[in-house]
Amino acid sequence: MEKKKAIWGFIFTIPAIVFFMIFDFYPVINAFWMSFFKKDLLSLKPPKFIGFKNYTYLFTSEAFWNSVKATAIFTLGTFIPMVLVSLVLAALIMTRKRFQKFLQMAYYSPAVLSSVVAAMIWLLMFDPRGLANQFLNFLFSTQGIDYHWLSNENMLRLATIIVYFWKYVGYFTVIFVSGMASIPRSIHEAAIVDGASGWQDFLHITLPLLKPTTLLVSVMSMIQCLKTFSTQYLFVQGGAPRGPIDVITLNIYNTAIRDHQIGRASAMSVILFFVIMFFTYLQFKVSRSEEVTY
Amino acid sequence: MKKKIVSVIIDVIIWVFLLGFAAIVLVPLVFMFTASFMPSNEIMKMPYPWIPSEFRWQNYWQAIKGNDGKFLFLRSIWNSFLVASITTVGTVFLCSLTGFGLAKYKFKGRNFVFFMILGTLMIPFEAIMIPLYLIVTGMGMQDTYAGMIIPLLMSPFGVFMMRQYLLTFPDEMLDAARIDGASEFGIYWRIVLPNSVPAIATLSILTFRSQWDNLLWPLLIVQSPEKKTIPLFITIFVTEKYTNEGAMMAAAAIASIPMIILFLTLTKYFLAGSEVFAARKD
Repeated sequence: MEKKKAIWGFIFTIPAIVFFMIFDFYPVINAFWMSFFKKDLLSLKPPKFIGFKNYTYLFTSEAFWNSVKATAIFTLGTFIPMVLVSLVLAALIMTRKRFQKFLQMAYYSPAVLSSVVAAMIWLLMFDPRGLANQFLNFLFSTQGIDYHWLSNENMLRLATIIVYFWKYVGYFTVIFVSGMASIPRSIHEAAIVDGASGWQDFLHITLPLLKPTTLLVSVMSMIQCLKTFSTQYLFVQGGAPRGPIDVITLNIYNTAIRDHQIGRASAMSVILFFVIMFFTYLQFKVSRSEEVTY
Repeated sequence: MKKKIVSVIIDVIIWVFLLGFAAIVLVPLVFMFTASFMPSNEIMKMPYPWIPSEFRWQNYWQAIKGNDGKFLFLRSIWNSFLVASITTVGTVFLCSLTGFGLAKYKFKGRNFVFFMILGTLMIPFEAIMIPLYLIVTGMGMQDTYAGMIIPLLMSPFGVFMMRQYLLTFPDEMLDAARIDGASEFGIYWRIVLPNSVPAIATLSILTFRSQWDNLLWPLLIVQSPEKKTIPLFITIFVTEKYTNEGAMMAAAAIASIPMIILFLTLTKYFLAGSEVFAARKD
């Protein structure tokens, strides 16, 4: 009876096993395999084995290093401010007695839009006559200066960072708020009784106990940034130059679909895979050793 | 007394900061809705007028009709709805079934299966999209709904979430059903599913919106205009040079309204979705 019952557990997981074999494990192996071949997407010729040539090509290719640079700038420029600002916002929200929910909803709302819509709205706001220039002119009390949001290399990078930051800062704020809310109130009360100020309570109670959440949010947002695609794709479609924002995923897409170089695209995929794998592993390892019990 | 004044000042500063930040975050949304009613020359006027001089519904009409007058936007809304719904139903069914199997049955190799599924969490979609595209094309599913849906039917995170939720499901309820002669699948279908509404709602929303938002996969799979989903339609609409800005924002507004309504009515599950995400540390 028990044994007969147990077999059902296995039967229930069969669809999942089959699914992940076909659509996850096989593609990973396939990507590795294809990265050693020269294959054209449209040609009927069988792929030709070329060893590590795709990799050596990439490591000497300017376009590849440009993508690495674009991805690194975007990731560092986005996830660090995002983690810091969402942490501060969450901490301040926790000090409020009213409107906690309203504030969280307001900050979260851009995350509800699709990334394509978000990029489209900002494309118009970054127009030379758009709101972004008007805002900066107002801020520096200048008149009609164009900051070239979509044509200057660095401004374009900043523009994509702003879109992403705007879209996800509220999402991470909500995660921080729930992390802070799960710290038992009695601990805070004990600290206040002992004469700690609000600031000291945050520094010595909240921050250390929040460490698992902070680590998780950092790694999660960083991996998300490494995989960014939609914003950059839509900006390029909307007429912005591709170079400064040619992030690695955009490069993989164009190499495979426009240039038909499946082998090269696979080699880039493998590199992206290892980079992300490394950070995920780091997250698992660090979050294990940083478990907090109250 | 002095201390009290200082704390009031700090309090006010915090309010100004929090509300000011909320206002800045909402500016692009307000811009989208107001601009969707304006003619192009008004949108590009400096300074931006904020209030439309008249409500130009023609923008919405142009967005719906499309530049070629083929009403492809309506079609793409339907496509997005179809793809996102089927993916959601499939994901909820398959992930909860797997999660149930892993949480409530002790079979040989259970841990192996669980860690295998958990392992796929580390595989970024962007790194396997090219082989996945070749596989799906090889199966002849290019440019079909099946090709858009099937490779996204399960998520390791969904399995993990349902398993964690079902670990605490009371065994007495399952045993009572067994005594009444229910089959194991019957137990899943009639006892487990109806009693897992909070977890199912959270997973549904996570899945639905990630498919509603999905650009990359349909971009690879779909070619024919009448099979395109909203993100693809919008991308093309932006690139067409004769699209006016008001119609662009009208299209953006139409694409966003379903999600905004969902968000306002089911806020709890949206916010819970991010919390569940944060709680994963097995």
